[in-house]
Amino acid sequence: MNARKNKKVASIARLVILASSGLLAQSTTPSPQTFSTTIYFDYSFWATNNGYITNTDPKVNANPMTNKFAFRRAYFTYENKISDDLKFRFRLDADNTGRLTATSGTKDDRLVPFVKHIYLDWAGLLPNFSLKIGMTETMAFKIAEDRWGLRSVAKTLVDGYKDITGADIRTSSADLGVNLTGAISKELRYGAMVMNGEGYSHPELNKYKKFGGYLQVVPVPGLNVWGYAEYEKLSDNPESAKMYKVDVYFDMISNLNISGELFTYNSDQKYNKVQQDDGSGNIVTVNKHYNIGGYSIFGTYKIIIDKLNIFVRFDNYRPNSTDSDKDMSLVIAGLDWAPIHSSWKIQPNVWFYNYKDANKKSDIVVNVTFFLSF
Amino acid sequence: MFYAKFKKAIAIAEIVLAFIFAPILLAQKKMIQVKGSDTMINLVQILAEEYMAKNPKSPIAVSGGGSGTGITALINGTCDICDTSRDWKDKEFSLAWEKGIKPRLFAIAVDGLSIIVNEKNPLTRLTMDQVGAIYRGDVKNWKTVGGPDMPISLYGRQSNSGTYTFLQEHVLNNKNYSPDMKEMNGNAQIIEGVKADEGSIGYVGVGYIIDKATAKPMKGLKVLDIAKDAKSEAYSPMDKAAVDSGKYPVARPLWQATNGKPSADEAAFILFELGPEGQKIVEGEGFYTIGAKYIEANAKNLK
Repeated sequence: MNARKNKKVASIARLVILASSGLLAQSTTPSPQTFSTTIYFDYSFWATNNGYITNTDPKVNANPMTNKFAFRRAYFTYENKISDDLKFRFRLDADNTGRLTATSGTKDDRLVPFVKHIYLDWAGLLPNFSLKIGMTETMAFKIAEDRWGLRSVAKTLVDGYKDITGADIRTSSADLGVNLTGAISKELRYGAMVMNGEGYSHPELNKYKKFGGYLQVVPVPGLNVWGYAEYEKLSDNPESAKMYKVDVYFDMISNLNISGELFTYNSDQKYNKVQQDDGSGNIVTVNKHYNIGGYSIFGTYKIIIDKLNIFVRFDNYRPNSTDSDKDMSLVIAGLDWAPIHSSWKIQPNVWFYNYKDANKKSDIVVNVTFFLSF
Repeated sequence: MFYAKFKKAIAIAEIVLAFIFAPILLAQKKMIQVKGSDTMINLVQILAEEYMAKNPKSPIAVSGGGSGTGITALINGTCDICDTSRDWKDKEFSLAWEKGIKPRLFAIAVDGLSIIVNEKNPLTRLTMDQVGAIYRGDVKNWKTVGGPDMPISLYGRQSNSGTYTFLQEHVLNNKNYSPDMKEMNGNAQIIEGVKADEGSIGYVGVGYIIDKATAKPMKGLKVLDIAKDAKSEAYSPMDKAAVDSGKYPVARPLWQATNGKPSADEAAFILFELGPEGQKIVEGEGFYTIGAKYIEANAKNLK
């Protein structure tokens, strides 16, 4: 056992020495250090007054609301290109604690900044290769996030899943770990990440690590297919969580992007307690596992390049595979308008929520999002 | 019932959008956007001005930012033609492939990348290896390469510049620049830096060093002859025959790229650049005309 451990330590030490010798071999060309800020906030207006979340009847909703200004996000990013192959990023994120209908319930709901990214990005080990060490973006979110590109309007399907459905998926937009990406050829790229699994909000809470990886195939220019899988052991009991995701991006018509994202999440800790006949006439309570899943289709058309885009998105949510009444869909449509410069945008958008459960009436929310980046 | 209502709503939305956007779209004149290399910006601006004087209904906007910036703009669809003073990198071709962009390249001129020093420096020549060693920071005093006992001060471009990358790939053997190099915004700033600093060395496109009035290098500058190696003869970037024959070792084509086959308007402008009038402007700006090898490849890519 000790010999095995020593071998493991020796292998890690070899890797560290190899990596550091490569890093030291880089001469350091001082390059621009950049500071940037991105902020977005919006004005939301409830276009319905009897929906599941927009109900303004005080008997149903103790704190009915019809419109609000919400300051949703502020990022402050410092980047330092230490050499041609070595970069450093530090990003603070100030998040909004209130959701569409509720606040945190504490006395104070002001925006609180926290560390979102802090990593070294080294591209010097192999050609077409990048290694990130630290708190980095996770691949589960980044693939779709980069493509959707309208984070100010809405999070992508998996990222915003909990906000929309309340179902918790144990995954995060950033995590502490090691992240590798590279390309074997222009038709085939890959990525792999080992991380704590706790995201950016907690330190490591167990001895297990989460593993994620993807393969990206680009058979013809403009057609991208990504397959992503994630695995994490959750406890000493044989419990684990897995996520599988497929993303397809189509970029073959001038000024038009169409994309699709499909995922399923399975955790041994996700189950309903149900009563059933054990076969001998006795009613017993058993745990019935369920999956969480959904898909998202979205497209953007550039009406005037760099000035005006129109976008539409359709999300389907299936937060409990054993209870289809929880299914719901969301349509988001709007404009992405930069009247003067791309650093300042106005993004009017409409959200239309539709629920499978006949008791839940549809909601329509109109937002005017203001985006600033400098 | 719901479907009929939905169809009606879509139809109304289409009409509203058409009313909102039609005036904006009609007001948009199709202007060819050219973006990229700062080495090429003066040349391409003059080419565009001459072309527009003859074709006033074909507006062209030319901007710089560096070769890397131009390539990114072509890949993101924010320009129609990108200018680069270096070859495209594999990762750029790969990103273009991912985004459905099919770059077609056209060499419009040839540049003898010029290594310049202050006119008070008595040195007249360097080898490629010596230039590489100086810019890597391995050689820090002119004395080491046969010059005066004086520290060398390095002037260069920022990393988004094609000239920065070209020199790094072809002269520095893909090693990093010295951390002591002063990264300037453009060719003009390098020239000003070298004129003012006796121990300086800089690199700029040949089109930037000639004083048009005298057809000689600008006052305050000296252009070094460069040899392939210690045994080879050294040549000047102002020697057209040496650049054409490849004897001058730091010559490079200046490229333009379009996404796929150029549109009729783009092709007309490129043909003007490649034709006798355009090539005369190329020479007038101190660069060199393209040779047979590039003429054939350009013709193929225009089809």
